[in-house]
Amino acid sequence: MSDTHLHIDGITKRFGDVTALDNIDLRVERGAFVCLLGPSGCGKTTLLRIIAGFEKASQGRMMLDGTDITNLAPHKRGFGMVFQSLALFPHMSVAQNIAYGLKLRKASKAEQRDRVEELLTLIELPQIADRPVSALSGGQRQRVAIARALAIRPQLFLLDEPLSALDAKLRDSMQIELRRLQQKFGVTTVLVTHDQTEAMMLADELVVLNDGHIQQAAPPSTVYQSPANPFVADFIGAANLMPATASAAGTLIVLGQDTGLPVPHHPGSTLRAAVRAENIQLHSVNGSGQGMAQVEFSRNLGPVTEWLVSAQGQEIRVRGVTGFGAAPQVGDQVNLALDAGRISVFTT
Amino acid sequence: MRVGLLPAQGGSYRWVMLTLATMGILISALPVAVVTLMSFSAAETSGFPPSEFSLRWYGEVARMFSNEDASSAQSVVDSTLTSLLVAVIVMMISTVVCVPLAYALARGERRIRAGMELLFTLPLVFPLVMLGIAFLLIAEGLAWELGIWRIIIPHIALVLPFVLRNCLSAMGGISVELEEAAISLGAPPLRAIWDIVVPLMKAGILAGLIFALIISFNEFTITFFMYTIDVSTLPIWMYSRTVSSLDPSTLALSVYIIAADVILILLVDKLIAGRANLF
Repeated sequence: MSDTHLHIDGITKRFGDVTALDNIDLRVERGAFVCLLGPSGCGKTTLLRIIAGFEKASQGRMMLDGTDITNLAPHKRGFGMVFQSLALFPHMSVAQNIAYGLKLRKASKAEQRDRVEELLTLIELPQIADRPVSALSGGQRQRVAIARALAIRPQLFLLDEPLSALDAKLRDSMQIELRRLQQKFGVTTVLVTHDQTEAMMLADELVVLNDGHIQQAAPPSTVYQSPANPFVADFIGAANLMPATASAAGTLIVLGQDTGLPVPHHPGSTLRAAVRAENIQLHSVNGSGQGMAQVEFSRNLGPVTEWLVSAQGQEIRVRGVTGFGAAPQVGDQVNLALDAGRISVFTT
Repeated sequence: MRVGLLPAQGGSYRWVMLTLATMGILISALPVAVVTLMSFSAAETSGFPPSEFSLRWYGEVARMFSNEDASSAQSVVDSTLTSLLVAVIVMMISTVVCVPLAYALARGERRIRAGMELLFTLPLVFPLVMLGIAFLLIAEGLAWELGIWRIIIPHIALVLPFVLRNCLSAMGGISVELEEAAISLGAPPLRAIWDIVVPLMKAGILAGLIFALIISFNEFTITFFMYTIDVSTLPIWMYSRTVSSLDPSTLALSVYIIAADVILILLVDKLIAGRANLF
């Protein structure tokens, strides 16, 4: 049974002549972790700021537990937010930062102290309460910002690209930490990011935005395996988009090769097929024979090797496990084998 | 290995730098040095260099402040008190005006900010004599009994650019996200400003305050047009004293003032340590 916590109902946002968000409909389940994912300028941050109340929608409304909060002032919403700059108060200690929201709620001194202690233990930094925030490392600041937002027991937990400033290794451990904290608190969470790996890893529900429209809203595995349109296929995991057509027998033909995948389109109709780099296999052509494609570039990334091959004037990215199967070199003639079960077909 | 910016030996470059630096220091410090030296003179009249040294004029200043000389129309004590009162009121009003103004300008549209900054800087580029005449004409035209405010109002105009600059540069480092963070935690917007923005602006506000105090306390040109028998300031008193008798007591008095100013400026420097410049 679905339990909608936040319902975004036809939100449109215009800045002058520019439409940043166009009629956005979204239901967020209670306790879910939702990632808003998209390229810069897609409207994801605007949508988060509208949820937080810092931006006013031009049209549409927003319901929290069935109550209309469209016009509720941001300080009355009780949503914890982590900002891109983290926005820790530089003139306060770690404990004062975390307790600020509780102080505003007129919690007693003892209550504030207990809650600060509880949160510092949860973020595994129990000894830093009295330090000034300027004395913290990047990862510590991150955790304090998260603790400050969670201290008020928020109805919604909002995060605006909070991990973008960290280096790759720290970001990875913070992602695990964030997910762990979110599950522990069971708080409904909306996170904005442009990093698809981060979104895939954190989200229960992935919302892909582009041009102010929701392109697809589904669990990450669904988005990855059956992208709703070429944009999603390209944005999530950089699939190869290739022109395709349907054969007389009703199967898909890509690069002149019959994949055997049945398609419900008229024979000869113009289609597009999206295949990910890891769902293509290369087979070397022995001797001086002519293959489907020629290897243009190859690079060994350690566990995997990537090739760029050109076939019928199109550049195709192929990825395979290093040391597994053929390892063609630049200039080699190769044949391509597409994994028919992993091809997405689009008509546009 | 570090390489010095100046060549270690020879080169006209080094000489040019040293000469310019020395000239700069001399020009800015010379008047202060001469006045201080002359104030220790033992002679009846100011002369340079003094032939004998004593502390008698410092004692004379102390006596002037303790023994009220009823015969002089405007005593030094009265004008000092007026000066202090004017400076303090100017300081307070300019801060009350500038803090919200700096906030509004920093958070408002960039275009408006540029225009407003220019507007508030105008008194700086206006010739002070013209400004004095303009304020005098306005004051006379109004024909109101302005009292001490006939000096305070022009001083505020003069001091605003300095205070505003300090407040604006203090606002510059405060990101909107800090305020939004406070609001998201439940602070109404005004509370967020009070809890977050004002404490972070504090150093800039105090620096502006002290500048306002010093500039107003030392202001002469505009005050010269605006003072009356009843309302006059210390610089005006010192001017008339110097014109009538050239004894070194005014010099000793200025050394007292210089000392107070230096302490205040050191305080400002400490407050905004690490910032690029004072203005």
